[in-house]
Amino acid sequence: MTELSQPLLKTSRQPLLGRRYTLELRQQMGWGGQALVIGLAVLVGLALSTAILVAAGVPADQLLEEFVGQTLLDAGNFKAVLFQAAPMILVGMAGCLAFRARFWNLGLEGQMIWGGIGAAAISIFQIGPEALRLPLMMASAIVCAMLWTLAPVLLKLRLKVNEVISTLMLNYIAANFLLHLLYGSWKDPRDNFPYSPAFRPFERLPDLFAGYNVAIVIAVVIMALAVWFISVSRAGLYLRFVDANPRVASAVGVPVRRMILGTVLLSGALAGVAGFIVSAGQEGRLTQSFYQGYGFSGILIAFLARNNPFAAAIVALLVAMLFVAGRNLQVFYQIPFSMVQLIQAILVICVASSDFFIRHRLRRIQAGEQ
Amino acid sequence: MDLVTYWLSSVPEFAVPFALAALGLIIIERAGVLALGAEGMMLVGALAGIGMQLALGLPGLSLLAAMAAASVVSLLFALMVLVLRINQVIAGLALVFFCQGLTGLLGTLLGWTNRPVSGLTAVELWPLSELPVVGGLFRQNPMVFLTVVIFFAVVWFLNRTRSGLKLRAVGENPQAADAAGLPVLRYRLAAILAGSALMGLAGGFIAVLSTKMWIADMTGGRGWIAIALVIFARWSPWRAFAGALLFGGIEALIPQLAAAGVQLPQYFMLMTPYAVTLAVMVWVAASKRAGASQPGALGEPYVREERR
Repeated sequence: MTELSQPLLKTSRQPLLGRRYTLELRQQMGWGGQALVIGLAVLVGLALSTAILVAAGVPADQLLEEFVGQTLLDAGNFKAVLFQAAPMILVGMAGCLAFRARFWNLGLEGQMIWGGIGAAAISIFQIGPEALRLPLMMASAIVCAMLWTLAPVLLKLRLKVNEVISTLMLNYIAANFLLHLLYGSWKDPRDNFPYSPAFRPFERLPDLFAGYNVAIVIAVVIMALAVWFISVSRAGLYLRFVDANPRVASAVGVPVRRMILGTVLLSGALAGVAGFIVSAGQEGRLTQSFYQGYGFSGILIAFLARNNPFAAAIVALLVAMLFVAGRNLQVFYQIPFSMVQLIQAILVICVASSDFFIRHRLRRIQAGEQ
Repeated sequence: MDLVTYWLSSVPEFAVPFALAALGLIIIERAGVLALGAEGMMLVGALAGIGMQLALGLPGLSLLAAMAAASVVSLLFALMVLVLRINQVIAGLALVFFCQGLTGLLGTLLGWTNRPVSGLTAVELWPLSELPVVGGLFRQNPMVFLTVVIFFAVVWFLNRTRSGLKLRAVGENPQAADAAGLPVLRYRLAAILAGSALMGLAGGFIAVLSTKMWIADMTGGRGWIAIALVIFARWSPWRAFAGALLFGGIEALIPQLAAAGVQLPQYFMLMTPYAVTLAVMVWVAASKRAGASQPGALGEPYVREERR
């Protein structure tokens, strides 16, 4: 009896610092536990962001008002949030699709630029009758963006060229081409700013009612199509095979390369639609910076939503709130817009870190155990 | 003729940031860690360098501040990939986005944007600087010559010292290195700190000695080009040095051609570094040599408990 209780007593009396722990892989964690860990991570991220915002000069008691009150309860800002959410949902979907095909599509911004250029070309060269102008612009945006996406995905499939670098390089090339157009032949002759002539009224996305723009409807319809594609269609099922293990998928007869090619092109097309919506909706013309920030946000949305299109739509709405609040902070407190990017990056780092706690656990080593 | 002379004398200024960043990347990647954060580290170095230069005006100290700041921020990356074992692609991208946001915010809030600083005066490497045509190559600011010294030192370290061998062992086969008693994570941490310091130095060079001011996102993708450069160089420092000269040469050509009155669309000229990077990546991939000398465990987190 005494021999048995001896080691037990010893462990309970071990001083706190003398205890040894080991890290071990957790087999599985329940959904509740995972949600709790991720929720805690988001809270940590928000706390850090709050600290930075306060340090940057936003009064602490105004924060909740700026980020939640102003964005959701103020009618004008709420419309702005919905308007902002449309391209966010689209780039988020684009990120989800590409990641599901195991393709790091960092070229969302370049694809948006080409979507914008495609849409603006229809307006500038006045192609098609007035009634068909908007659908034509959208189609042109999709085609241009898909063509721009073709090169990196073919290079990856044929030659294994790293798509992280190739898509980023294509972003810089597209951005310079946009500047070439806006400082050159596409410059609005009426004034001296580097932007294209304003789209005519029938080339702009109309309001459905009382300031609620049709953009969000387009985004939701495309989201529904993306959900169908990913969760219902045969291609979506194939895509899950490809995502899980391309080799096995290929062995059981899934056309892996065609699936990757098609999905990534679709991702580019969605980014193109986002470019069309921002240029024909928010800006009303092609500007030199209309795409900025969306590429990162698209990747962030897809990552935070774990490539799930439904979750991506919700995250996109939250990011849109962040964008609108960020613009307000810029106006009222002279906080640079980089703050929005910093907050997003902090959230990504926190949520990515939380994965560690889902996959591992600490176990105390009992005395006498090796 | 004048064009060639001026162009040659401005090549080192453009080549040094590529060379230093690529060297930093090689150190980290030889230890088996995929370092996509180069762009972010360069931005941190650039901002810290300018901050120190505005405060004290001593370029040497500013470059040290650039290195120190990048090393400090790289601790976050080390935490992510070494301790928390986050996917190294995600960690690298998150680091770049974090640094872009952080430097953009601090640069504006601290009022360091668009404030010119004085750089370093050129030093002549007599008698080489008296040579015709190529003489300009040897009239550079001291940091350019120091870069060559740094290259010799790092190559010697990697190829000729025990610690360098151990570092490469950790990158090629961490399991075997661990079994041989090497502290894998400690080597990787040291590599991340040292490599990031070099990337920070590259950024500091751009801001303090080349552009001589801070502008948000001023590195303009040079960190990503450096990553492509390392793939192109197959993780060999001297090949990376040659690649840096190539890219520096192309970048240096843009203002020279513009000054010479060559009528080329400006924005197409500005595209060339990115287009050449893309072309080089395709060429390397097509010649099927890309993977040959890649560190064996590049991008794989090392977890002893999950040892195969």
